[in-house]
Amino acid sequence: MSGGSSCSQTPSRTIPTTRRVVLGDGVQLPPGDYSTTPGGTLFSTTPGGTRIIYDRKFLIECRNSPVAKTPPQDLPTIPGVTSPASEAPPMEARQNHLQNSPEDKPVCGEESQFEMDI
Amino acid sequence: MNNKFDALKDDDSGDHDQNEENSTQKDGEKEKTERDKSQSSSKRKAVVPGPAEHPLQYNYTFWYSRRTPGRPTSSQSYEQNIKQIGTFASVEQFWRFYSHMVRPGDLTGHSDFHLFKEGIKPMWEDDANKSGGKWIIRLRKGLASRCWENLILAMLGEQFMVGEEICGAVVSVRFQEDIISIWNKTASDQATTARIRDTLRRVLNLPPNTIMEYKTHTDSIKMPGRLGPQRLLFQNLWKTRVNVP
Repeated sequence: MSGGSSCSQTPSRTIPTTRRVVLGDGVQLPPGDYSTTPGGTLFSTTPGGTRIIYDRKFLIECRNSPVAKTPPQDLPTIPGVTSPASEAPPMEARQNHLQNSPEDKPVCGEESQFEMDI
Repeated sequence: MNNKFDALKDDDSGDHDQNEENSTQKDGEKEKTERDKSQSSSKRKAVVPGPAEHPLQYNYTFWYSRRTPGRPTSSQSYEQNIKQIGTFASVEQFWRFYSHMVRPGDLTGHSDFHLFKEGIKPMWEDDANKSGGKWIIRLRKGLASRCWENLILAMLGEQFMVGEEICGAVVSVRFQEDIISIWNKTASDQATTARIRDTLRRVLNLPPNTIMEYKTHTDSIKMPGRLGPQRLLFQNLWKTRVNVP
């Protein structure tokens, strides 16, 4: 999960009993990335059977597929939510949203996203 | 818990303002009938992934709700105000909806997006939710769109690794703050709630001093809606001060 995008179907396997992982000196354990463990991915085998797992990067790449850009036929018209609040024709807003979305989507990875003043 | 719309309306979240006391208990039976009617009328044929699309582990349904300005939030007006937007079964179908909906930060007024597994209503009393609870994160204005996107992408991509436990996610746009929350089935399962919390920290990239609150739906029902942010801080729920090493 620490690099390329992934789209994986995890196979169903028995839970391994023991696994020895040798860590050299200075091995950096990844704090904050619980899905990655030294020597492999901790949860790659899920006890319940196959699960369909996608990481964020892969999901975002799928956004560019032609299907994903077509509005659903049964999309209800809710002004201000699925269509503009104003009188402008719905298609215009949809186009705008599509055009705007690539750049208004922040694609920052590691940098701190925000501060919170609670 | 005889009024489910009350319960949902009063949910969490930013409901620390007016009108909370005006809700009246309605006749449960009557409401149930109305609810069933609205359910069946919105029934659609089964949603499946299209050819060459990437299937999701579960189907999900988008909902939208908004409090009518200036009116008491009776259960009836709440019922009228929650709408199903649609159900999807694949990654591509998700984007079809998401790309044609405004982002939460651009919503106006007192509104919520709910994204729940198909068949689970975004209500405390749903069978999947009644023993459950939710993690709540309050956000300064301006952060909701990005956090919501990261939250739902993690949910759809099965990043939480808690089996069947996740029910859905909510973003609540309020006057001075926005709130995101993720609901799970079993509030008493601490291993699960801890894993959800840790995954939230990771996928939302939360700063170390972020306060996260876990609230059981039973508590939400007992103490509906009138909890302002300050009062909530003193409530003894699982309040975690996050420390990143």
